[in-house]
Amino acid sequence: MTQHLHLWLIPILPFVGFLLNGMLGRRLPKAVVSTIALAFPLASFAVVARAALIFIQVKPQILPWLINYSDWINAGPLHIQFTLALDQLTILMLSIITGVGFLIHLYSVGYMGHEEGYWRYFSYLNLFLFFMTVLVLAGNFLLMFVGWEGVGLASYLLIGFYLDRDSAANAGKKAFVVNRIGDFGFLVGIFLVLANFHSLDFFAINNIIHSNSGISTATFTAIGLCLIVGACGKSAQIPLYVWLPDAMEGPTPVSALIHAATMVTAGVYMIARTHSIFDRAPIALATIAIIGAATAFFAATVGLVQTDIKRVLAYSTISQLGYMFLACGVMAYSAGVFHLMTHAFFKALLFLGAGSVIHGMSNEQDMRKMGGLRKCLPVTCWTMFAAVLAISGIPPFAGFFSKDAILAEAFQAGSLGKILYFVGLATAGLTSFYMFRLWYLTFLGESRSEDHDHHPHESPWSMLLPLVILAILSVCGGWIGYGRFSHLLSPVIGSDIVSPTEASSGSLELILSIVAVAVAALGWFVAHLLYFKPNDRAQKLATSARGIYSLLLHKYWIDELYHAIFVAPLKFISQYILGWIGEGVLIRGSAWVLAGIASLTGELLRRWQSGNLRSYSGWLVAGAAALLLFAAIYANHLGIWIHFDPSKVLPISINPNAAGH
Amino acid sequence: MNTFAVNYGNLFSITIPETILEVVSLLVLVVDLGFLRKSTQPARMTAACVLGVIGSVLAGLWLLTHSGTASFAGDALVLNSLVAAAQIGILLLTALVLLLSFQAEFSRNPGEYVAIVLLATTGMMLVAAARDLLVIFVALELLSLSLYVLAAFAKSSALSSEAALKYYLFGGMSAALMLFGFSYLYGLTGTTNLNGIAVSLASQGLSPLVVVAMVLVAAGLGFKVAAVPFHLWAPDTYQGAPAPVAALIASGSKVASFAVLVAVTGSLIPAASASRGATWIVLLVWMAGASILLGNLAALAQTSVRRLLAYSAIAHAGYMLLGIAANTPQSGAAVFYYALTYALTTVGAFGVIAVVERNMGSDRFDAFAGLSRRNPLLAASMLIFLLSLAGIPPLVGFWAKFNLFAAVLRAPGVGAWGLGMVIFALAASAVSLYYYLQVLKRVYVVPAMTDEPMAVSALEQLVLLVIALLVALLGIFPSALSGWIPLG
Repeated sequence: MTQHLHLWLIPILPFVGFLLNGMLGRRLPKAVVSTIALAFPLASFAVVARAALIFIQVKPQILPWLINYSDWINAGPLHIQFTLALDQLTILMLSIITGVGFLIHLYSVGYMGHEEGYWRYFSYLNLFLFFMTVLVLAGNFLLMFVGWEGVGLASYLLIGFYLDRDSAANAGKKAFVVNRIGDFGFLVGIFLVLANFHSLDFFAINNIIHSNSGISTATFTAIGLCLIVGACGKSAQIPLYVWLPDAMEGPTPVSALIHAATMVTAGVYMIARTHSIFDRAPIALATIAIIGAATAFFAATVGLVQTDIKRVLAYSTISQLGYMFLACGVMAYSAGVFHLMTHAFFKALLFLGAGSVIHGMSNEQDMRKMGGLRKCLPVTCWTMFAAVLAISGIPPFAGFFSKDAILAEAFQAGSLGKILYFVGLATAGLTSFYMFRLWYLTFLGESRSEDHDHHPHESPWSMLLPLVILAILSVCGGWIGYGRFSHLLSPVIGSDIVSPTEASSGSLELILSIVAVAVAALGWFVAHLLYFKPNDRAQKLATSARGIYSLLLHKYWIDELYHAIFVAPLKFISQYILGWIGEGVLIRGSAWVLAGIASLTGELLRRWQSGNLRSYSGWLVAGAAALLLFAAIYANHLGIWIHFDPSKVLPISINPNAAGH
Repeated sequence: MNTFAVNYGNLFSITIPETILEVVSLLVLVVDLGFLRKSTQPARMTAACVLGVIGSVLAGLWLLTHSGTASFAGDALVLNSLVAAAQIGILLLTALVLLLSFQAEFSRNPGEYVAIVLLATTGMMLVAAARDLLVIFVALELLSLSLYVLAAFAKSSALSSEAALKYYLFGGMSAALMLFGFSYLYGLTGTTNLNGIAVSLASQGLSPLVVVAMVLVAAGLGFKVAAVPFHLWAPDTYQGAPAPVAALIASGSKVASFAVLVAVTGSLIPAASASRGATWIVLLVWMAGASILLGNLAALAQTSVRRLLAYSAIAHAGYMLLGIAANTPQSGAAVFYYALTYALTTVGAFGVIAVVERNMGSDRFDAFAGLSRRNPLLAASMLIFLLSLAGIPPLVGFWAKFNLFAAVLRAPGVGAWGLGMVIFALAASAVSLYYYLQVLKRVYVVPAMTDEPMAVSALEQLVLLVIALLVALLGIFPSALSGWIPLG
């Protein structure tokens, strides 16, 4: 059965879609473009589903399933194979990527229907699925890096999709440049892995680690820290998170797919995939945990006061990714991946809901101008409500189970874990507050729109169907996975090192759950007080704490700080120093030298390459003579003439029997 | 004169692919002159080219399905996996050249054109397999004579005649020098077999006669690969010959010549005699250095894309000569890989040139202006070809250079000189980027004089795209050919 499992189909199918739409899309009618764009991801999802059925139900014991397609790179001691690998973690990620991915493709058919460059949008989106599935299926670091860079490219192309907007182009560039910093760290980490393990294959590396290879903790820590830099770039963690809020310049479905559900979770996936390295690097683990908790709290505070609906969701994404990092940092990888999955459901739903609102409001994104949309957009309103409950951690919605698992694991992970638990708990309260604030401002109350002639309208079915499906998943996704999840993933990311977890007891977990729910309810309550009915309480609060409000509204002035510390000096150096030396001296100089050489040789050639046959034959003989002279001098220099024995040279009249054979 | 019991059955079984080509070339003549004389010119060209492609494919399929090693008459002709790889490569290149010839209008005698192309291919395949001085010479002459005729095929073009005449006279002189060198080798060793020569030379010291023989052989083979100072024919011939013929001279002929150069080097440098080996190596290294320097510098001054490719071919020959001088199995394989992939890329580049020439009547830089707007696919193919020639990853040209230089550096006894030569070659290939980009600047940046699309047949477009795809894919999957060419 397994031999009929063509893993390569999973990435190739969306790639074919990319090629078809990318090359022919301009000339095809919209219906055909949509069909191509939807059919290939759906087919890819079917292959994934089939693989999942085969492996999960029939023969889980044969995972991981590795397929070496061929040698990829052989250069001296470097042997890298083209390997796709399937295990429980991969199946889960692939289901999310192709499943949620397909829903978002479907949604896009409605959302992008009126946009110019419809075919371009879908070809990029399919390209993204190709690279993302490559990233997840990769059996070694290098192939993963191909996917890693590829999703970065697709993300860049889609953030800058609206070519005529400067802000979109700049946001694309920012995402690309910030990601380069992370990729640099990742690449150094890969080099360190290669230098220490002489292999980039995940499973070979695991075997080496498990066989007690004598690699020191310092090495593990160095590798781990480099990989963390990469993960921070891709997953938008402090200090490299700055690109994600700007990435909201892209179309909203792109935000849902790439900048919420899938690509940004690649960092978490990478850490889980390479956990056996991190398990042996306590400092690296602590770094992940601290970065995660700090990012979660920091982003949540910024989310409290934003007024752009997509920006709130962007900071919320950063914050939730922080939770996943926190989970990885306390070696609760399965809890992290669990949250990754539930987050993919409810955050994709939130973004798609926000997209539906923006679509209905004719591209209005400011929540201060919304309100009262409950009546016009009922499906959007109530599906989003499910997502809000899920992200806030209200039982029995999906987010409750995964967030609860992370917080419980953190609480039981030593003293650092306890401190971070409280950070996470506070964040949960903030999350609940800003999400209900968003929902109240958008859907309840009266319309604050200045444009009274325009009546918001509910979206077409192709947009509502994904909303409904994701809402069901946001409601059920948690308790379906609860308890089974760590069991499912244990062959892949079950730690082989006994973590310093205190003995957990049912009653402790119950207490922790109750506390978490209470905090979430508190956040909801505050939001209810401030925003349920029109009042000036929020206004008063903002004026009374003007300093903090302004700090949060301006996102801690981090963008300005980065600009002053990094961008401005770099600009100065590149403009005045490198510009002068590099361009003025090096580039112009070498161009001048090359041009000079070109004209000089041109002049010489005109004389040499005269076209005159007699002179050519003269040159031929002269060349041979020069070579002969040179060879003679060289041979003389070697002193071999002394050994020359003419008697050993055979006479020209040869005895046929003297021939070689 | 050698006392072998010549087994003709054996000879036939080794040369079945060549025989197929011969038969098809006769068939082409019969079909063209016998049945299609009344047909239109394009129909005759199409029929001839289709037959030629079928013949090449059949011969290639035979080689693919009959792997194994064999030899004839005491290794006068050998067939092993590396030779088979070279021959399959040559057949592929011929097939591509023929596919790109469908639209060619230079000849009124398509049957003869295709028949001679197939004869030239037979010569190339024999050259690649030959391990005996006489067989090498005869095969080289078969190849050269066919190419002389082909270069002159555009009978109405004065440039073509001039190119052919220069090629012919220059080739004749080189052949004379080489034959002279071969006769010295025979006189010194009493055998024409390369293995026998190696054995016999190993027992004698380095004599002045050996040095003379080496220089003369170097002159003959240096002409075939267009190495300085035996390169003067190349720019004129590349410019004057019809585009498909220039592509053939630049591709298949190069592959065959480098194959024989590797074989001759193996026989002239037996491990036992370091000093004689050193002399041959030094000859090669000097030719390599001069070719790299002159080829790259002269290319800087060109404004005709064909001449630019001719000088860049001289530079590439220089890189490959470095690999031959390293003389290890790895470097030999790396030279093979380089020659094959370089030839593939060059055929593609000449294909683009042919299209541009047909539309614009010139191969000068101006003719390429705005190609990206007039035919984006053609422009993208040219981009891939030229960047690959410049050695930009992830295209195959990068891996060819990487493997070649790595093999040179890993060869035993490569000291500071070897390292210095590799650094020099790398610096020179950085310079080469300048002139390749000069072309690409015309293609992508300089606005077109006219916006009307560049007319190109669907077949040409498809063939060029396939070549571009091959160049890109072989770069992305660099070990794809490792089954045939063991670079390890």
